[in-house]
Amino acid sequence: MRPAAAASDPTKHFFQPIIVCLTVASVALTLFVIWISLHDLSLMRAGREKFVGLDNYIRFLGDPRAMAALWRTVLFTVLATVIEIALGLAVVLFLDRDFAMKRLVRTLLLVPIIMTPVVVGLTWRFLFDPATGMANYLLSLGGIDQVDWLGSPRIALFSVLVADIWQWTPFVILLVMAALESAPTDPLNAARVDGAREWQVTWYVLLPMLRRALAIVALIRAIDSIKAFDLFYIMTRGGPALSTETLNYYGYIVAFTNFDISYALAIAIILTVFTNVALLTMYSVLFPKTGDR
Amino acid sequence: MAKLSIRSVSKSYGAVSVLDDVSVEVEEGSFVVLLGPSGCGKSTLLHAVAGLNPIDSGSIVIGDRNVTNLPARERDVAMVFQSYALYPTMTVAQNIAFPLKMRGLDRRTSDEKVAGVARLLQIEPLMSRLPRELSGGQRQRVAIGRALVRDPRLFLFDEPLSNLDAALRTELRAEIKRLHQSIRRTMVYVTHDQTEALTLADKIVVLKAGRIEQTGTPLSLYDDPDNAFVAGFIGTPRMNFLKAVVVDDGKTLTVGEARVDISHLKTGLESGKTVTLGIRPEHLDEKQGVALSLAVDVTERLGSTSYVHGALPSGETVVVERREDQPRFGESITLRFQPKRARVFDEEGRRIR
Repeated sequence: MRPAAAASDPTKHFFQPIIVCLTVASVALTLFVIWISLHDLSLMRAGREKFVGLDNYIRFLGDPRAMAALWRTVLFTVLATVIEIALGLAVVLFLDRDFAMKRLVRTLLLVPIIMTPVVVGLTWRFLFDPATGMANYLLSLGGIDQVDWLGSPRIALFSVLVADIWQWTPFVILLVMAALESAPTDPLNAARVDGAREWQVTWYVLLPMLRRALAIVALIRAIDSIKAFDLFYIMTRGGPALSTETLNYYGYIVAFTNFDISYALAIAIILTVFTNVALLTMYSVLFPKTGDR
Repeated sequence: MAKLSIRSVSKSYGAVSVLDDVSVEVEEGSFVVLLGPSGCGKSTLLHAVAGLNPIDSGSIVIGDRNVTNLPARERDVAMVFQSYALYPTMTVAQNIAFPLKMRGLDRRTSDEKVAGVARLLQIEPLMSRLPRELSGGQRQRVAIGRALVRDPRLFLFDEPLSNLDAALRTELRAEIKRLHQSIRRTMVYVTHDQTEALTLADKIVVLKAGRIEQTGTPLSLYDDPDNAFVAGFIGTPRMNFLKAVVVDDGKTLTVGEARVDISHLKTGLESGKTVTLGIRPEHLDEKQGVALSLAVDVTERLGSTSYVHGALPSGETVVVERREDQPRFGESITLRFQPKRARVFDEEGRRIR
């Protein structure tokens, strides 16, 4: 569009106010949060807060519980994203053929996604119950010793991971399936004629075509995993022995159990910055500017 | 390089038969065009030859190898698709090199061959681009390059020019022709465009609703069609079909008032029978012969000739190619044709010779 035309474009009267409102709201809120995080606001001694500068951020670096939570968040995010993408992709490639129940299968895939996290969390808590749960029953059928799924600090994080994978892999499947169906089939046939075996067709032609969709799904899943809270709250409450406490959950404890509002907001900001840096890095790796492939 | 035999191939989707006992022989080094309207099964047949579509019965033999039950990758054919079917995430060079890579050719030989093909098709400046950075014509050139690079036994073209604009289509058509003349490989080409078929083919196979209507050289299909479908499908503007009645013990036809001598036909016709007389537009502008009067409707001027559309007294519409004058709307002109140039078809559309 020519500059003159842009200047007189009347549609700006519709979108500009909205942009201004949104900008003001988000900028103002962010600045307010940063401002509070530079104080020592605590609900235990309301009205006596004072400016402390970067103390909260320095405290974070020296807080072993926070650092452990950060590490757990990274571990959970990486594992959840990688496993969900890999598993989802495998299921999609397996389902990519015509069979009688395809529509039914697709509808069933929606069930975990539309279930509220509370129900999912409770269901998996029951499944993982050491005495009455289905998981240990299945292990007993195979003659394997019982496992304390949610009670053992070494295992609990992975038990939550299983529930997360159960709930969110179908989301990956649906999105990748949509991408697969909108992908052209002629190049696949061309590859077959060109002498490629089926795995080569998938590896050299199909997967590169799905790369964009996979990258976007991975980003969405990574963001969600970093922010995961509901499953942790319902299944473990960060326990046992803090072994499932993620940074997000720790922030919640600091704010609503310890009422240390300023420190909680500092954690929230660190989490936000950390998320952005990680995702921007991921994004620039997945979508290099040169060539825009 | 090899000959291709398609023997009694049939295929149906449920109750719908798409190929019905189709047999085609393609000689070594020849250029055969499968021609027909959309939905006639020509692409299905080509995909069956490529190994992308299983067939229900019959066999496909390439060279002396029966490939009916072999997967596409083992048939050693190359195919050019209507949609180009380039690998969207690979560069042009990678696209062309892909068939060689799948055959495990070493990098240096592969690079040499790719460069050779690029030189032949004049796409050298495009080698590091992605398919979506190319125009339609360039994409199809790359697709042809990908087919050429590995010297297959058989080339298959599935409507390769249909997505291109008219000028490019003519240009690439000539290029494909030139390519065939220089490398002399067996090629099977599918199209619904009879101009492409007539200009490219050594032999044309006309298909309709999964059955072969006629097989022959372009000229024989044009001059000596077996049935009204082939006669009408080949040639633009299409052949004029006029209703005629047999009189005079099968020696004459009446078309309206005009009487057409058909004593040269070997097949005897009963008097009173209704037949169809087919006359090509360029055969209606003779100096002498049977006369018909035409009420002119529209004249399309093409420079060297004109196409005159009009109606006979019977109401049947006719197209004539006129070389000398350009009659206008409302005028009445006289058409003349030689009875021997006209083709006679029975009520089922079969040719009467």
